[in-house]
Amino acid sequence: TQPLLTCPLKGNNLFLSQALFVFHSSHNDFALQLRILYQNRLSRVNLRELNLTHTNLVKLQAGYVGAQFWSVYVLCSAQNKDAVRLTLEQIDVVKRMCNSYEELELVMTSQGDSRRIACLIGIEGGHSIDSSLATLRMYYDLGVRYMTLTHSCNTPWSESSSKGMHNFYPSVTGLTAFGQEVVKEMNRLGMLIDLSHTSHSTVKAALNISKAPVIFSHSSAFSVCNHSRNVPDDILQELKRNKGIIMVTFNADVLACGRKVVNISTLADHFDHIKEIAGSESIGIGGDYDGVERFPEGLEDVSKYPSLIEELLRRGWNETELKGVLRENFLRVFREVENVRLKSKLNLESY
Amino acid sequence: LWDPPWHCPLGEACLQFLRVRSLLSATLSLPRHNDLPWQLLNKFNNQLRLPEANLTVLNDTHTNIPKLRQGHVGAQFWSVYVPCETQNKDAVKRTLEQMDVVQRMCDLYPETFSCVTDPDGIELAFRSGKVASLMGVEGGHSIDSSLGVLRTLYRLGARYMTLTHSCNTPWADNWLVDTNDEKPVHHGLSPFGKIVVQEMNRLGMIVDLAHVSVDTMKAVLNISRAPIIFSHSSAYGICPHRRNVPDDVLRLVNSTGSLVMVNFYNNYVTCSNKAKLSDVADHMDYVKKVAGAKAVGFGGDYDGVTGLPTGLEDVSKYPALVAELLARNWTEEEVKGALAENLLRVFRQVERNTAPYESPIALEELEGSCRTNYGYSTDAGTAQRPSAALALALVLAPLLSVLY
Repeated sequence: TQPLLTCPLKGNNLFLSQALFVFHSSHNDFALQLRILYQNRLSRVNLRELNLTHTNLVKLQAGYVGAQFWSVYVLCSAQNKDAVRLTLEQIDVVKRMCNSYEELELVMTSQGDSRRIACLIGIEGGHSIDSSLATLRMYYDLGVRYMTLTHSCNTPWSESSSKGMHNFYPSVTGLTAFGQEVVKEMNRLGMLIDLSHTSHSTVKAALNISKAPVIFSHSSAFSVCNHSRNVPDDILQELKRNKGIIMVTFNADVLACGRKVVNISTLADHFDHIKEIAGSESIGIGGDYDGVERFPEGLEDVSKYPSLIEELLRRGWNETELKGVLRENFLRVFREVENVRLKSKLNLESY
Repeated sequence: LWDPPWHCPLGEACLQFLRVRSLLSATLSLPRHNDLPWQLLNKFNNQLRLPEANLTVLNDTHTNIPKLRQGHVGAQFWSVYVPCETQNKDAVKRTLEQMDVVQRMCDLYPETFSCVTDPDGIELAFRSGKVASLMGVEGGHSIDSSLGVLRTLYRLGARYMTLTHSCNTPWADNWLVDTNDEKPVHHGLSPFGKIVVQEMNRLGMIVDLAHVSVDTMKAVLNISRAPIIFSHSSAYGICPHRRNVPDDVLRLVNSTGSLVMVNFYNNYVTCSNKAKLSDVADHMDYVKKVAGAKAVGFGGDYDGVTGLPTGLEDVSKYPALVAELLARNWTEEEVKGALAENLLRVFRQVERNTAPYESPIALEELEGSCRTNYGYSTDAGTAQRPSAALALALVLAPLLSVLY
């Protein structure tokens, strides 16, 4: 295989195999852009070359992305309105997208190895289930494999980290009794529990009940930037015990707390800090492309992921740690979540 | 085991009984349209694990497991009906919940039910002695005018959709517009309604015209590329109720290879609140006469109505109707057709391999305040895409300010 990076500081070229770059990048709001720009009409757009968005297929390949979770996010203002319908429509557009392009392949398990980019589906915000466990189960049947418990609004059963942005269910704290049922049902189904966007009480409540490892699909370190979207050190330690994963976001505002210069080094600082507190096995790549506006210099779109890897190599991360970050840590979590589903079937637990 | 209601001396009636029983045990029986899931919602809020919801002993519904067995029901389309009052509200979620309760029913009683989605699945379940269970959506309001939702319901296993229940959708008229109670709105199908039918053809989802207006029936029979069904309607020529199928439509049913599955509800059978089994057989004879033997099926409507004929009080009584048809000189082939083969024939005809339809319904055709309009361009109703920069500026900035 040809060399993909050179490592000038160490003075020798570092050859990394193609497999190292089979990414698991968790969070991408591309499907939302398809809705906003094209009303989900895929026939009007060529996803290979599209240049209105941070993401297109050519860029994903240039970034060596091997697997991508597509977020089927619907805005909080649809809560108590047509959130369910909108979510189904976003799931539909992702499926159609993955079926129409041979570079993509819809995938629903941790198994399998493909030359194509694996498409997985994630729901961003519990408001998408309209407080219905049946709806949650149907989403799982459709291939949804993670759900972020809240977006920037509370649901009737879980608390968001965003305050004052919306006025839904202001008295809800952490997880209600029903919220606990949701978490348990997600364990039973084998759906990853995503705690990005949730409040610290919600995180603690979820970590308490979940029998499976959890994820933060796009958050970073509170100690480095004390934004409410970030994870404080005590929770990072609990995450380590839970054997879960935090997939670091590339959202400049959340990384840099208002500092004007935000670059790859800023992002790498978060990686270094989390490694120190929770170990490199707790880290993955978040992203958040097409979901926000500001990214660090040098990381403007999905083709730029490799520059981050270069920086981490420069900072002394070794190949095993990087393989973990790129792929193995996430797969470990996903497999264990599937394991919990299997075990639940055998115990015939009922919800 | 099926106990004949009459004493069985040697003679005509007894021979008939034996003939029916042997026919039924060898033949798949696939009566349509059963509203048990709706009963499960009403009575138990879909909590199947409550002791009183046990389907082996439940006794105040038309359907339970022992009755299905006695009725030799080999396969059943369960209706995932939700009422018209949910239109423009939580119809979509409610429909998902009904689909979920059917799936959980299959999971909870795996010796009895097997949830399947195609004719091969039906055959397999029948051979293993289980009731093949499929799902039908009863009323276009369940898709909230969204092709994405339609496709999703198909992916989740729905294999027919009744285009309307007893209310108009933004794209199709229901049977009440043929009475004095309502005025027509679309006079059949709107342009979006035609797209819905075409997408159903493409997916392989059977179009069901029970509950629609006569104009809608004709519009669909004219454009559908696959045969259609009436999952539970009877003959207008015998009982002129607007839920029934008039003769000119029956002739279209014949020419398109479609199917009418006769409804047992007294009001649609005799146009009064009393009926007998032979009245239902009259409808089946009538449809056979006007539309052909390949166009007849058993509709039922158990657990969806109260007021069923004497002799057909619940799902265990199907064999008695079979006996009556045989007594009226229906051939075994014709009876098998009515029991299942006609429906399976319709089911097998699907169109393949064209691109999904993507046009959303125009925003001004929708009502209700329980909706948002994300995805619609700022030029409401036109198909043009605004310039890229303008789109980004207009739409992204305010929306993205709430995203992190």
